[in-house]
Amino acid sequence: MVGGFSILLWIGAAFSWISFGIQFAQGAESPFDNLYLGVVLALVVILTGIFAYYQEAKSTNIMASFSKMIPQQALVIRDAEKKELPADQLVVGDIVEIKGGDRIPADIRLIFTQGCKVDNSSLTGESEPQSRSCDFTHENPLETRNIAFYSTTCVEGTATGIVINTGDRTIIGRIASLASGVGNGKTPIAIEIEHFVYLVAGVAISIGVLFFIISVSMRYKILDSIIFLIGIIVANVPEGLLATVTVSLSLTAKRMAKKNCLVKNLEAVETLGSTSIICSDKTGTLTQNRMTVAHLWFDDQIYSADTSEDQTTQPFDQSSQTWTALSKIVTLCNRAEFRPGQENLPVMKRVVVGDASETALLKFAEVVLGDVMDIRARNKKVAEIPFNSTNKFQLSIHETDDRNDKRFLLVMKGAPERILERCSTIMINGKEEPLDSEKAEAFQTAYMELGGMGERVLGFCHLYLPENEFPDTYPFDTDSMNFPTSNLCFVGLLSMIDPPRSTVPDAVSKCRSAGIKVIMVTGDHPITAKAIAKSVGIISATSETVEDMAKRLNVPVERVDRRQATAAVVNGMELKDMSLQQLDEVLCNHSEIVFARTSPQQKLIIVEGCQRQGAVVAVTGDGVNDSPALKKADIGIAMGIAGSDAAKNAADMVLLDDNFASIVTGVEEGRLIFDNLKKTIAYTLTKNIAELCPFLIYIIASIPMPIGTITILFIDLGTDIIPSVALAYEKAESDIMNRRPRNKSKDRLVNEQLAVYSYLHIGIMQSVGAFVTYFTVYAEQGFLPTTLLGVRVNWESNAINDFEDSYGQEWTKYQRTYLQWTGYTAFFVSITIQQVADLIIRKTRRNSIFQQGLFRNKVIWVGIFSQIGIALILTYGLGHVTALNFTPLRFQYWFVAVPFAILIWVYDEVRKLFIRRYPGSWWDKNMYY
Amino acid sequence: MARDKQKRSCGQVLAEWRAFVWDPRSRQVLGRTATSWGLILLFYLLFYGFLAGLFALTMWVLLQTVDPHVPKYQDRLATPGMMIRPRTETLDVAFNVSAAETWQHYVRLLHDFLEPYNDSVQAARNAACRPGRYHEQPDEAVPNVPKRACRFARSALGPCAGLGPPGTAFGYAAGRPCVLLKVNRVINYFPGENKSINVVCAAKREEDAARLGEMAMFPPNGTIDLMYFPYYGKRVHVNYTQPVVAVQFLNATANEDHHVECRLNAAGLRADDERDKFAGRVAFRLRINRD
Repeated sequence: MVGGFSILLWIGAAFSWISFGIQFAQGAESPFDNLYLGVVLALVVILTGIFAYYQEAKSTNIMASFSKMIPQQALVIRDAEKKELPADQLVVGDIVEIKGGDRIPADIRLIFTQGCKVDNSSLTGESEPQSRSCDFTHENPLETRNIAFYSTTCVEGTATGIVINTGDRTIIGRIASLASGVGNGKTPIAIEIEHFVYLVAGVAISIGVLFFIISVSMRYKILDSIIFLIGIIVANVPEGLLATVTVSLSLTAKRMAKKNCLVKNLEAVETLGSTSIICSDKTGTLTQNRMTVAHLWFDDQIYSADTSEDQTTQPFDQSSQTWTALSKIVTLCNRAEFRPGQENLPVMKRVVVGDASETALLKFAEVVLGDVMDIRARNKKVAEIPFNSTNKFQLSIHETDDRNDKRFLLVMKGAPERILERCSTIMINGKEEPLDSEKAEAFQTAYMELGGMGERVLGFCHLYLPENEFPDTYPFDTDSMNFPTSNLCFVGLLSMIDPPRSTVPDAVSKCRSAGIKVIMVTGDHPITAKAIAKSVGIISATSETVEDMAKRLNVPVERVDRRQATAAVVNGMELKDMSLQQLDEVLCNHSEIVFARTSPQQKLIIVEGCQRQGAVVAVTGDGVNDSPALKKADIGIAMGIAGSDAAKNAADMVLLDDNFASIVTGVEEGRLIFDNLKKTIAYTLTKNIAELCPFLIYIIASIPMPIGTITILFIDLGTDIIPSVALAYEKAESDIMNRRPRNKSKDRLVNEQLAVYSYLHIGIMQSVGAFVTYFTVYAEQGFLPTTLLGVRVNWESNAINDFEDSYGQEWTKYQRTYLQWTGYTAFFVSITIQQVADLIIRKTRRNSIFQQGLFRNKVIWVGIFSQIGIALILTYGLGHVTALNFTPLRFQYWFVAVPFAILIWVYDEVRKLFIRRYPGSWWDKNMYY
Repeated sequence: MARDKQKRSCGQVLAEWRAFVWDPRSRQVLGRTATSWGLILLFYLLFYGFLAGLFALTMWVLLQTVDPHVPKYQDRLATPGMMIRPRTETLDVAFNVSAAETWQHYVRLLHDFLEPYNDSVQAARNAACRPGRYHEQPDEAVPNVPKRACRFARSALGPCAGLGPPGTAFGYAAGRPCVLLKVNRVINYFPGENKSINVVCAAKREEDAARLGEMAMFPPNGTIDLMYFPYYGKRVHVNYTQPVVAVQFLNATANEDHHVECRLNAAGLRADDERDKFAGRVAFRLRINRD
């Protein structure tokens, strides 16, 4: 980022030293000026470099702290002794023990397992825990059951295994190294800054060379010409700008961190703003990442439940007797339990021991009924058959809390069709009615409807065991099933889904109006994916997929015009068979796309496809397997909570709350900083002309030097720094989320209009204002403007100590030099005063300052006061330090440039007025930057 | 992130440039149509015309506010500077006695400088003033009335007046060079607080004094008469003749550098500014070569 300018400044420094060397050899009187200048220039380059490095390092450090948080421990058996060792000390052949909750410390082959399940989601994207055993089941190590992988988690059970790979040689390690192999190109803002540096360097070099030639042909000495060249370079290079940009970016990064977007790479701040496609995960990002009861079906009617994050009550009709029966089954036929000691937490936040569906049911019951554990205690469990995949049901038998009713209650839940098979009656409004075909039909309709919404449906039934057959002392035996499991009474259905986060639909619609395409990429089933996509608005209510159209028009899928469908749900299997062209076609033709059943590897293909469309792509990911896609994306976003370390390392940004909505606020900040950087650069470039003109006029008109090189550095690195950072705090002029993403090739950070308006309009006005002050100072000291023309050689001669002014008085060299410094100071003060006006006008590019509010951005005022304060200190405080070339300035000279400052403001207001009044006009095209 | 830019061939670049210079399709020259160019030129003509006019106006206003006779501020000239004649590129007087071409130009410079001091010119233009006190000419009713200047007799410079036969002019031929010293003109400056002022010269370092040898000052004692002050500015004090003092080096050691410093000896004048080596004093190098 520092490259371009630093080279120019190094050249400037080198020239300074060369001219110092020549002057020193010639024995001139004060050659040390050039030596100092060279040193200062070199220091500027070095300090800017250190500063940029420091900023980068700071954000990298945040990441480093992440991975160091939990040093991983492994339980190893060595020398017949169990030892706790840091995981990085494991070697191949070590025997390690694992239990539920542990992270696997290396790739291991299992030699003993007991109900062991591992969560491979970070590796393969499968969200269901996989059971592990000692059996070799597949050639592919990723498929076989007897290998557990490094960095995955053991969910339940215990296992013992032999370490077969460690570190980089593990599967994860290999993926991580694959990720580091994916090219890491330039960020959009880096490209823009490079473009800007080229532009400014081009101007600097061409003006420098042009005036070098002019001064040589005007018979200036080569040495003098070189000194002019240094001045021109120093005047043209905005020395403080790159530091300012870095600071602005890091301020935004800080602001984003507050909104849960942690930016690792500063430049990514802006990249997020130019994002045109977001490829988002579903689970955890768009959804809450927990199963929640969404719908109920009883009394032949579908009720919907509240699925928001912080439900406290459920609004559906709970008066029916059927509900009472259903709620009892839900409560009793459930093995999940709250961890103790969480009574004060809201229900939704409590930790539950049990699988996802049971947890959902438990929390649902707790919200609706109150203390579930108490209810369970009052209805003592006497027998239980847990869920298994052959039965596909779960059953338990309870005593009831009704003292008068000595019957046992049998409750059962499971796959709806299996449950229905076992039922002969159905409860309607609290009464058992025979299950005829009409009722079965109604059940089917409801089941299809809930299933069609992508929800996981469970059926519930019960049976009161007759007291005479099953007395108190009846020995229930779950193995022989000495109790009825058919002819039960069907009560109802409950369907569950991982519901979308409540902020997401709003965020998606914001993206939509901001012209950002949101693509969902998930490993889930297409129906679930589509349902969630619809509920968050990724697929809007009115749009249809090809399949929807085929269904509506009642024609085969092949005959539907694919172009008419705005939405598409692409299955991972389809994607596998697609050629690149076909993928491009899908990405191009459909505005709303969901990729379902995709593997993390396919994410990479999707990202590349989007990038082929010329889009700036943001990708979210959490698994290790996502890291190549995260690296490949223009901006990789890792999940802070669910994300693996590998993903976080590969990403440019970490979402601390895993929430999609945070990305959108990030986009907003990114767009704002792009606009504000434009303003900052426009502000900074303007005064370059006011710094450059003195040199040009000095060379051409041979007047005493109006401003010194050191003085220029004091503007660029002193008075101007805080104001230009202050522009980063500027609020947006209009709703930036209502316009399309920036077109990378057209909407440049520094465009022609910006450069022309800054250089040739405001810059020239500033120069005029500063020259008026300069001439005023000289005139009031005795040198009228006409006298000053062409005096340079005599003025600068050390031997002439009786230089005559316009009044006939004679001046020594030092008296002239002191006056020259006063001129520098006056010029400096004038530029500063006019930069205040420049700062104010740069607050907006289109709106009037009065629309934007002069006082809304308080930091701007800090900038203005700092600017004037620094100028005051330099002039009056350091006015006696010879080397700095400042002198105390008469108070009235501070106000000479004020009319010009006001003129700048008025002129800019007129410019903005015409831009607003005549959009699209010649004026708008040439004057809007 | 890595998206390779499409590499363009040289021909394409050339064609693009040609299209930029003149695009026949959209009739654009350098990216703008003729109308656009016309408007932009007109705009800049008006804009810069306005700025130039504004600048000219402010300069005119500035000149109106500035007094043409006395500058507004003179704080920088509190201590007048001093200078030597002959003046060359450097503050050196170095020559070879036996080679006339090495000192002839000094003589010519001195002659030219003293031209207006000729008695004939002085008698014709200037008034004979009362010596020993300031020659004040206050404005009575009319402001800025022209002021008379006091006569300075060239002959008062003795052998350094250059009035003798051409060969002996200013003592250069004899290796006893004259150097003229003058005090910078400063408007309304009253040196010496009514006490007489004079110029003294010495070797810069005391131990060199012997080698520098004797010096003669003209007028005697290096006195500058107070009647030449104050100066009223070149507009009203047209024929003002600046008083000069001559120093002649009678016996300076040949073939070595002498650093001479002359200072104005006046009450209330500080001639010890560290940074300004010419405030109330002047230092120069003298070298007389003999074969």
